[in-house]
Amino acid sequence: MRLAAVQTAALARRAVVGTLRTPQALFPSLFFPLVLMAIFTASFAAAPGRIPGFPPVRGFLDFALSGAVLQGILIGGTVAGAAFALDIEGGFFDRLVASPASRSAILAGRLAGGVALALAQTVLFLGVGIAFGARVQGGAAGVALLLVLAGLLAVAVSGLGIVLALRSGSSEAVQGTFPLFFALLFFSSAFFPRETMTGWFRTVADVNPISHLVEAMRAQVISSGETRTTLIGLGIAVALAAIAVAACFQAFRGRLRGAA
Amino acid sequence: MRHAVAVSAGLAWRSLLLVRRMPSVFLPALVMPLFILVATAGAFRGIALLPQFEGVSYLAFTIPLATVMGGGFAGVNAGMTLARDIEGGFVDRLVASPAPRTTLLAGPLAAAGLRSLFTTTVVLLAGLVGGAGLPGPAETGVVYLLAMSFAAATACWSMGVALRARTIQAAPLMQVVIFLSVFTSVAYAPREVLTGWLRAVADVNPVTYLLEASRAAQLEQLTWAALWPGLVAVAGLLAVLGAWALTGLATLGRR
Repeated sequence: MRLAAVQTAALARRAVVGTLRTPQALFPSLFFPLVLMAIFTASFAAAPGRIPGFPPVRGFLDFALSGAVLQGILIGGTVAGAAFALDIEGGFFDRLVASPASRSAILAGRLAGGVALALAQTVLFLGVGIAFGARVQGGAAGVALLLVLAGLLAVAVSGLGIVLALRSGSSEAVQGTFPLFFALLFFSSAFFPRETMTGWFRTVADVNPISHLVEAMRAQVISSGETRTTLIGLGIAVALAAIAVAACFQAFRGRLRGAA
Repeated sequence: MRHAVAVSAGLAWRSLLLVRRMPSVFLPALVMPLFILVATAGAFRGIALLPQFEGVSYLAFTIPLATVMGGGFAGVNAGMTLARDIEGGFVDRLVASPAPRTTLLAGPLAAAGLRSLFTTTVVLLAGLVGGAGLPGPAETGVVYLLAMSFAAATACWSMGVALRARTIQAAPLMQVVIFLSVFTSVAYAPREVLTGWLRAVADVNPVTYLLEASRAAQLEQLTWAALWPGLVAVAGLLAVLGAWALTGLATLGRR
């Protein structure tokens, strides 16, 4: 058990260092969310308080912050999955499986690496937001809850990437899922409140889990963490993370059976 | 001259055929303008309740953004095609042939314009289905003209990058600059609504004037005063980025 923990930590460290050493992998998950946050904040600064249905916020930056955090995790998860697929393509995965390393440590290491990067990224985004005037109304407890949500979402998204990597063995296939996440993000309340949407778009945003995740994160920033919204978001995040981990292990077993 | 036109037309046709032969590369460029239209108009429609929008439909307001972005994607495709041709050795063979070098730019440029014709039509039809309506024939012509001009300008930018970098790995650079140029303009809201740094950047960004002219046409508010800044912006972009592409062409054979 202790050996498995050591192996998990070593593989998690390798995942983190590998991403940090590949700026072109790290760049999109930092650059795009921050740039979009800046653009949306400057474009929609007049919206709070003047558009019916817009939740009470100090400023649009407070509203946009959680959307940027979530976007960064979605992109980072795709990168984690693609890195795992590169390990498969390059033969490192096969060597790892042939070694006495714990099988669960191979998956847990990659997932833990994804979570560590997501948490660091969330702290960075919060820091940038606060530097430009955002305030986390939920205080330290709000930040802690936001990090829990970010960590769970990172497990879910990285897990999905790992499943695709194990099933396809191709980093291109994993990266090909990015447009799907992009669509999920825009058809949600990540950038604008659901209350201002109408028709079929509102229906899609209502059933889109991303809406509930981002609203739970946002509740920590713009209020003191509205309980119902937070619990719904946490429930969805836990369920998605559990499904992703179970799917990872199933895909892992499937790949080993296929190789045997 | 006639020979150069024939070669350019051949290269343009070849670029257009690649859409069918490599759909995974080119399909996103056709789908993305539609996605931008639907996602932007759906997600941000509430912002149009601000008085500065003067009651216009946000779907109609977004159509020029989608047509211009369609032009931008067509331009990036021209650069990506050229980068692939450089990597694959096709450009070397063409340079060694008696065909004028400028046909290397003119062919993909024409293809980018034609592709943007297609994406603009798709976006306008989607707007029509969504209830935005079509502007008059002259205004529709202006929407097409500005999208095609932006396609030509971004094709020059992307081909200039391709000629210098000589690798398809430069594609993200082509895309990021075009995205930033569009999204730091009046992409989501009129200038009167923008604040802080974005307002300052949008004021000096030529894409702002192009989008404002296209928007005036789409919303049937087109006047000469609304059109001429867009035309000047397009002319400026074409002059500067055309020179960027031509000087890139001059570097062929130096390395």
